[in-house]
Amino acid sequence: MTATTLAPPPPASASRSGRAPIGRLTWLLSRPTAQTKAVLALPAIAFAVTTALLLIVLGGVMMFWRWTIADADLYQMLSVIALVLLIVPLIALGGAAARLSARRRDDRLATLRLIGATPGVVTRMTVLESTAVATLGALAGVVLYLIAMPIVGLLPFQGEPIGAGALWVGPGAILLVILAVAALAAVSAAIGLRQVTISPLGVRTRQSAPRLHWSRVVVSVVAILAAYVMLGSLGSSGDWMLTIIVLGTGLGIGVGILNLIGPWAIGMAARLALRRAKTASRLIAARSILESPKATWRQVSGVAMTSFIAVVAGTGVSFMDQFQGDYDAPTRMLMADIRTGILVTVLISFLMVACSVGVNQAAGILDRRDLYVSLDRLGMPRSVIEQSRSRAILGPLRFTTFGSALVGGVLVFPLTSLALIFAPVSLVVIVGCLVAGVLMVWGTIKATAPVMTRVLSEPERM
Amino acid sequence: MNFFTPPQPTNAMPPANSAQRPPILTGSSLVKTYGSSTALAGVDIAIAAGESVAIMGASGSGKTTLLHTLAGITPSDSGHVGFYSASGLVDVTAMNESERSRLRREAFGFVFQQGLLIPELTALENTALPLMLAGYPRREAEGRAQHWLVALGLGGMETRRIGELSGGQAQRVAIARAQVTGATVVFADEPTGALDSATSEDVMSALLGSTVGQGHALVVVTHDETVAARCSRVVRLRDGRVLSHTAVGTTFGSNAVTA
Repeated sequence: MTATTLAPPPPASASRSGRAPIGRLTWLLSRPTAQTKAVLALPAIAFAVTTALLLIVLGGVMMFWRWTIADADLYQMLSVIALVLLIVPLIALGGAAARLSARRRDDRLATLRLIGATPGVVTRMTVLESTAVATLGALAGVVLYLIAMPIVGLLPFQGEPIGAGALWVGPGAILLVILAVAALAAVSAAIGLRQVTISPLGVRTRQSAPRLHWSRVVVSVVAILAAYVMLGSLGSSGDWMLTIIVLGTGLGIGVGILNLIGPWAIGMAARLALRRAKTASRLIAARSILESPKATWRQVSGVAMTSFIAVVAGTGVSFMDQFQGDYDAPTRMLMADIRTGILVTVLISFLMVACSVGVNQAAGILDRRDLYVSLDRLGMPRSVIEQSRSRAILGPLRFTTFGSALVGGVLVFPLTSLALIFAPVSLVVIVGCLVAGVLMVWGTIKATAPVMTRVLSEPERM
Repeated sequence: MNFFTPPQPTNAMPPANSAQRPPILTGSSLVKTYGSSTALAGVDIAIAAGESVAIMGASGSGKTTLLHTLAGITPSDSGHVGFYSASGLVDVTAMNESERSRLRREAFGFVFQQGLLIPELTALENTALPLMLAGYPRREAEGRAQHWLVALGLGGMETRRIGELSGGQAQRVAIARAQVTGATVVFADEPTGALDSATSEDVMSALLGSTVGQGHALVVVTHDETVAARCSRVVRLRDGRVLSHTAVGTTFGSNAVTA
């Protein structure tokens, strides 16, 4: 062998400029194959649903802000509260989609590091890909929004259907939403990449279950007391605007408390379930939750908010119903509209939660396909795998739903009275909401079963 | 217990081998194709209790397909797999998916290259899992699992999660899981493929000790000649056919090739 044959080949043009051809590399590695199709399609679908729901909600809020009727300011305030309540599950859904995109980084690292790519290149590629997938998803979401407009337009406000046109946000807002979704994806991917903890041996480090710091208890108790006193003082005030502001703040505090103690409470419940687990599926489910109570909370917290809203809203509806006869026609119409608004808010947050659970479940199956295939080979019945998967979500879901309902009940207690919470109309709304939420999530988990079937039936091709 | 009874006669007559012991698992005229490629082109094999058989061959020679077919993971296109259980001969080929799943769960054990243990569970829980699936109460399942872990040198590591164990330790947990039900045949697919040579040696000793040492059979798919050398017989495949059966110090077969 001569020295000339050992000389390295001339550098490629991109290397000469000192920059890796990130765009071209990303494209090369993103071309859909059997394995990547689902990984790219799932977040795209989630981003599409996020965009469509965001546009519908935005359209509704903008519609109220265009109104010039007597009670317009009241509608506007209420629509903003609904928007704020929907932001939590919306961000969770967008975040789930973005994290799913970012997970591809692990596979990439192995391949790309071997051919000499720096972690920076890999990071930029993943962020670029997440953003591209999000943008495509957002564009599909705009189409979904256009299709949904006539259906949502059938909703009656002020005694008549609002019509599809009322929900039109305009090209400027659509462009802004697409940009916002793309930005959310880019930021989540970048943050997600920093949070991925891989030891040199590639072993995922254990995320320890969060312990309840005493400060959280103090903050929670003080916040509940403050909200309680604040809401209790409402009875003496007849000002609508003040009522709404205080109610909105109370809701915000409730949501904050739920997020503060939610992961810890889920961890505690799972530890209890682990000790009592008698079957393989219960054991695996409890351990899966304990692996990361925070991640479990992220999946179910949207329903926690919904159940919390349902209690507060359900009480509000029955509170208003009690005085049906005392009000004039415009006020009764206002009450009917508030009820419609509450139900629409609850329905949309359910949709968001179901969608993010679906995305997370499908991603979870694809992430762990080797494990599921090996368990199937060991002879673990498919039913045990499915049971542990759904138990790991539905257990915390039920726990969270009722826990949140309790917090909501405590907060609205001073506003109305205990009797009112148990008023028939209120009860129907609350129970209906909780059952619908659990059923929708259960249905979503069931809907991901074909992904498992595919993984198990074609282990070599996945 | 439907897969143990009634014994069904098959054409899977075990070929003569040097073990001189009754076979516990036989494959006869096994054929398996994937699309246009033939993975198995008429393989005959018989494995006796207390025997360790290494299946070797180049990539694509059909060795993993043979293991999957013998273990009832993948049904063959034609041919028969017979398993001699305590209550008689069982025709694995005639079983449906759920019966084969049950057979794998209750009569066979498996060790894969990466261990493939459930990462959230502790070493003890992973080992106890097959017993819990078989309906044992958790306490008893964990008691038996504990026994195996101690026997395999993992005493004191019961509560560790899989990520907290070394590759060799994780593989021993997989061995404990494969043997906790008293499986009479253990299938191992490249069990030492991800380990360094010293750890590989230890794991192979543990695997042999817990299977052959108990009078059970071990079927190992491997690329590693040192692993194969520790088995009592080496079966080499090429293009889906058996090239040779090599016993320790003896060679036999249609196209005998000594290792």
